[in-house]
Amino acid sequence: MSWPATEITLRLRRVGTLSAAVGLVAVMAAVGALFPAVGHTIGKLNVPTGVANLLGGADYATITGWFRSEIAEIYGPLVIAALAITGAAATTAGEEEDRILALVLAHPIRRSRLIAAKATAVALIVFVVAFAVWLGLIVGVAAGGGGITLAHMTALAVQLAFFGLATGALALALGAGTGRRSLANGGAAAVVIVGWLVNSFAPLVGAIAWLKYLTLFYYYAGHDPLARGIDSVGLLVLGLATLALTAAAVIGFEQRDLHA
Amino acid sequence: MPSLSPEPVIVTRGLSKDYGSGRGLFGLDLEVGRGEVFGFLGPNGAGKSTTMRLLLDLIKPTSGSARVLGLDVGEGSVEIRRRVGFLPGDLALYPKLTGRVVLDYLAKLRGGVDARVRDALVDRFDADLDRPIRQLSTGNRQKLGLIQAFMHEPELLILDEPIAGLDPLVQQRFHALLHEVSAKGRTVFLSSHTLSEVERVTHRLAILRQGRLVIVDSLENLRKVAVQRLEIEFGEPIDAEAFRTLPGVRDVQANGRTVTIGFEGSADAVVKAAAARDVRAIRPREDDLEDIFLRYYQDDPA
Repeated sequence: MSWPATEITLRLRRVGTLSAAVGLVAVMAAVGALFPAVGHTIGKLNVPTGVANLLGGADYATITGWFRSEIAEIYGPLVIAALAITGAAATTAGEEEDRILALVLAHPIRRSRLIAAKATAVALIVFVVAFAVWLGLIVGVAAGGGGITLAHMTALAVQLAFFGLATGALALALGAGTGRRSLANGGAAAVVIVGWLVNSFAPLVGAIAWLKYLTLFYYYAGHDPLARGIDSVGLLVLGLATLALTAAAVIGFEQRDLHA
Repeated sequence: MPSLSPEPVIVTRGLSKDYGSGRGLFGLDLEVGRGEVFGFLGPNGAGKSTTMRLLLDLIKPTSGSARVLGLDVGEGSVEIRRRVGFLPGDLALYPKLTGRVVLDYLAKLRGGVDARVRDALVDRFDADLDRPIRQLSTGNRQKLGLIQAFMHEPELLILDEPIAGLDPLVQQRFHALLHEVSAKGRTVFLSSHTLSEVERVTHRLAILRQGRLVIVDSLENLRKVAVQRLEIEFGEPIDAEAFRTLPGVRDVQANGRTVTIGFEGSADAVVKAAAARDVRAIRPREDDLEDIFLRYYQDDPA
C-alpha cells in the first residue's frame, strides 16, 4: 500500500463520487415519496412477465417491490458499477495512456503496492456510493411510509458494495493488465450489462437459466436482499472474485512493459 | 572533466530491446562514470528513451543486462529508483491538479524530500505552483518536471529531453544547476536530439542511431575531428577552387566575394592561402555538434 497514491486517486475522483452520492440520496428520496401516490395504481397494472423481469420482477404493489424495481435492480448497480469501472480504468490504464504512470513508477514504489493503493481508492469510492444507497433507502422508505426493515436495507447496501468491489476489480485487472483504458471500461461494462440481461431473461428460458450463476449480478441481487436480507454465499463469491481479480491486476501489471 | 571512478554509475552490456521491424535498442554497451554529465544523442526513435526506460525497469530487456549505482536494474529496481531522479520525455502530469499538489504527491510517494531543497528549486526556476497544470505552457510544465527530478538530491539524474520547451533564461539556469550537481559528484545522463543544447553541458557524448551506438567520446575528442568553418570576405571575387585542394578541406562554398571553407584539424593552410589575397574579413563559423553528428550519420551506410 501507498497512501499518497490512494489519496491522489480519491482526490481526482472526489467531485464525481460525491455528486453521484448526493444524487443517489436525492433520487431515492423522490422515488420513496412517489410510492404512496403511484405505487398502488401501477401495482394493479397487468405487466407482461418479460417486461416485469426487466424491471426487476416488477411488483409495484409493495414498497419492497417498488424499491427493488427502481433502485436495487437498475439504478443502484448502474451507478456503483459506472463509478467503480471508470475509476479503476482511469487510475490504471488511463494514467498509463496519459503517460503519468511512467513518472510515478520512476519513484521507489513496487508495482504491486501501487495497484494495492489504487484498488483501495476504488474500494473507498464504492463504499461511499453504497453508503449513499443505504442512506437513500432509509430516507426514501421513510418518505414512502415505511415497510422495509433496516436490516434488509443494510443487506442491499452491503450486497451492492460487494458488487461494486467485484466490478471495480474487473476493470482494474483489465486496465492494469492491458494498459488500455477503452478496453478496461468497455470490457467491464460489457460484463455488467450482459450479467444484468442474463439475470433478467435467463429465468424465462429454462434451458439457459443456469447462466445466471456465471454472472456477478446474480450474487448481488439473486437472493433478493431487500426482501430476504444478506446472502452470505453471494458475498463470499463476490469477495473471492474481487480478491482474484485484484491479484490478476497485480500479476498482469508486474509482468509487462509499461507502454510508451 | 571528472575522473571516472572504479565503479561506473551506469553500466550496460549488450542491452537490447527488440520491438520488431528494426525498432528498439540493440547491443548497447555503455559506461557512465560518477560525476559525469553524459549526453545521449540521436534523432527521435533512435532508442534514447528506450534505454532510459530499461534503466528504470519500466520495461524489461529482450537480452543483455544493465546495472545502475551498482545494482541490477531488475532486482535492485526499487532501490535504484530511490536514488535516481527521472524526467520523462514528453512529460505529462495530472492536468486538473496544481503544480503544488502534484509536487507534494510525488514528494510523499518518494519520501525523504527536504522541503527547503524543493522550495529553492521552485525559486530558482520561478515555477508557477498555483495554477492547474493544464493551464501551464510546455516550458512551465517542464519546470515542474525538473523540480521533481532534482528535489530529492539524487545521486543520478536521468533526464529525457530536459531542455524541451524551456526558454533561454531557464535553459541557462538549468545548465548552471547541472554544473553544480556534477561538481558535487552526482551524475547526469541526459538525452537530446537538438545538439546545441547539450554541447555546453556535457563531458562525454554517445551518439545513437537506429537503436545502435555509433560512437562514445569526450566532447574534446569529438571536436578534434569536427569540421570547423571559416567565412572569408575578399576584396575582389576569387576562384574558390584554389581552396578545395588544400589539406584538410572538406567543403568550399563561394558566394561572390565571400567564401565559406569547412576543414578538419589545423586552420593553418586555409589562412595562409587566404593571406595571399586581399582579405577584408575573417569570421569563424562556430562549429557545433550538428557537424560531428551529421558526419557520423553520413559516413555510416544505412
